[in-house]
Amino acid sequence: MSTERGRHRPLSSFLVRGLALGAGVAAVAFARRWLDVVEVQGGSMAPTLLPGEWLLVERRSYSRRRPRVGEIVLAADPRDASRELIKRVAALNADAGLVELAGDAPAASTDSRTFGAVPVSGVRWRVIGRYYPPGRIRRL
Amino acid sequence: MRNPLRPTRRVHAHCDIPCGVYDPQQARIEAESCYKIIEKYNASDDELLRTRCIAVKEERAELTKHHIDVLWHDYFKPEHLEKFPDLHETCWKASKAASKVKQTTDIEAAKELLALIDKIDEMWKATGGPEKTRLQAVAA
Repeated sequence: MSTERGRHRPLSSFLVRGLALGAGVAAVAFARRWLDVVEVQGGSMAPTLLPGEWLLVERRSYSRRRPRVGEIVLAADPRDASRELIKRVAALNADAGLVELAGDAPAASTDSRTFGAVPVSGVRWRVIGRYYPPGRIRRL
Repeated sequence: MRNPLRPTRRVHAHCDIPCGVYDPQQARIEAESCYKIIEKYNASDDELLRTRCIAVKEERAELTKHHIDVLWHDYFKPEHLEKFPDLHETCWKASKAASKVKQTTDIEAAKELLALIDKIDEMWKATGGPEKTRLQAVAA
């Protein structure tokens, strides 16, 4: 596929993003150490993320730096360690090593309001983007 | 090789629509009703009153059982179980005691139910229940 052609023929930003994410997803097979793909279950991140959507996640960032407020992350459920939660970082207490997690749909979310702040060590994966369904391909 | 696009795991945008309000007193009040009703039942010769006592006691005992179950399923967490290894046993016994009160007019059964609810209440208090699960102040 020629990138030259892309310049002559205008591509919608949707396609560009789609291809970028597609390439990212293809790299998953080769970069399993850092990348993974997960499916969303539950509605507490609506309307940003809906149940059944597929996401690309990476864990390289948090081996180098702390999570930032606003990032969507995967974190161990403090109430059930076998379960992984997906939430947005609402606040960071760097001194205490704690992050507060919140769902984008507060009325339908069980998060730090219920179980308190969680240890930053339990937050390892960052959500990069969504690659399925096709109409909702987006960097996050 | 498996399809690398297919998610490897599910992450939970979790919601248990929590009001997050729990208090064993809710169970205790219903159980006290049962206790008093059994007293009245045993002290009375009025068949109509006795019949009503049975009907109301069954209803109250069922509510007691419901409130015990809600505490057991929703309030108590794995870390509480670590602190109180007899937590499951106690809740289970309390549920059974509520069934017993529903079935009989034996005041001893009601006493046992109250004692078990008090035991649950101790665990609730020792795990920070009063501060965490009751409204401290109502926003204006």
